[in-house]
Amino acid sequence: MHIAAQETDDVLLKRSAKGDEDAFTQLYWRNQAQIYRFALRMTGRAWAAEEIVQDVFMTLVREPKKYDAARGPLGAFLYGIARNRVMKHLERQPREFSFEQKNAEGDAKAIEAADNHTPAHWAEVRERRERVRSAVLSLPPEFRETVVLCELEEMSYEEAAQVLECPIGTVRSRLHRGRALLLAKLEILREAPKRANASR
Amino acid sequence: MNCEEFANAGLDRNLEAGGPEFAAAREHLRACPDCAALYETSRVLRADLRELGQETCEASAPSRIEMRLRQEFRTQHKTLRTHRVTWLAGWSLAAASIIAGAVVWVNWNRENTVEVANRMGPTVQTAPRSNSPREATTEKPPGSPASPARPQTPRKERTQPLVASKTSDEFTPLPGSVPGFLDDSTIVRVQLQRGALGAFGLPVSEERASDWIQVDLLVAADGQPQALRLPQSASN
Repeated sequence: MHIAAQETDDVLLKRSAKGDEDAFTQLYWRNQAQIYRFALRMTGRAWAAEEIVQDVFMTLVREPKKYDAARGPLGAFLYGIARNRVMKHLERQPREFSFEQKNAEGDAKAIEAADNHTPAHWAEVRERRERVRSAVLSLPPEFRETVVLCELEEMSYEEAAQVLECPIGTVRSRLHRGRALLLAKLEILREAPKRANASR
Repeated sequence: MNCEEFANAGLDRNLEAGGPEFAAAREHLRACPDCAALYETSRVLRADLRELGQETCEASAPSRIEMRLRQEFRTQHKTLRTHRVTWLAGWSLAAASIIAGAVVWVNWNRENTVEVANRMGPTVQTAPRSNSPREATTEKPPGSPASPARPQTPRKERTQPLVASKTSDEFTPLPGSVPGFLDDSTIVRVQLQRGALGAFGLPVSEERASDWIQVDLLVAADGQPQALRLPQSASN
């Protein structure tokens, strides 16, 4: 069955609720990537992100009537479910940070493009990226999700406020506070190897 | 612009690329080394975060998740369909049972009415057999002690036959009656429920089936009713 690209998520969801599998697949492909990225960036684990994506869409299969179009777009609704699942995951494993770099099929991904930089340069880039990643993952969840949505997902304050179901001012202040915390953590992470070397 | 205003308005902006609206922030940046250092750190952080974001911007859920979800979707909707069919079948069965019950009850009720009529018929018909047909047709004075048809009580009046005058012009022959037997017949006046007329193959209004009416039966010598006559009051 051909599904026109301009059909809205609402229409697709109605058709999906009536048993149209193509409509459900279309919905999945429209929304899965952003939910997966959000979950991956929040949890730092590919397997957790997969579980969360599965849970989110399972909810859509089992209880499509939970979505109320009057309260906002379907994307925001899915983000809401994903946030709940992420919070549950973080409550279970609050201290585990491991940002696995995997592609869609679960294989290690070659992230550096071949160019004329030296291995030392790439080692430094990797180290800096790892520090930022660890700093993001160590933020308290409410600041982390704001940083993830506004900085990594590059959402506007309005979009982030809709997803987080809070006023724009709250998003702005959380982002401000999140950045300050990140800077402090990065400073600590930057100083840690130096202190370790000095103590030897 | 002071440091606080700068922190609120200019820290998360790209002031180098910004337009004239950021001129005050840029001015403050040149004048305040603390804010300049903070801005530089913030700029580096934004760049790092952007880089981190780009690292995973192509990430998407593996195809096995889609497979699992589609499987679950099929199972879910198959189960729903099964539930719907079961529900429909259940209700259909219940409706069919109710209809069957109603039909049985209506039939039973009709049979019951006919049975009552039949039960009343023989009571009335046996009476002439006990008396001679000639005696029954003979008009006796009401005060005579030998009169067998004289009613003692209203109840007996209903069970005992009343002998009517023999004017066979208005009699309607009953189905299966033999016309030749009419000479030896007796006219018997009985009281029965209108519904009992159905047993003689006559149309009966169901609304008035329970009314009691007087009917003249033309009974042959063998005791079988051959024809009947409805008095004017009963035929209305």
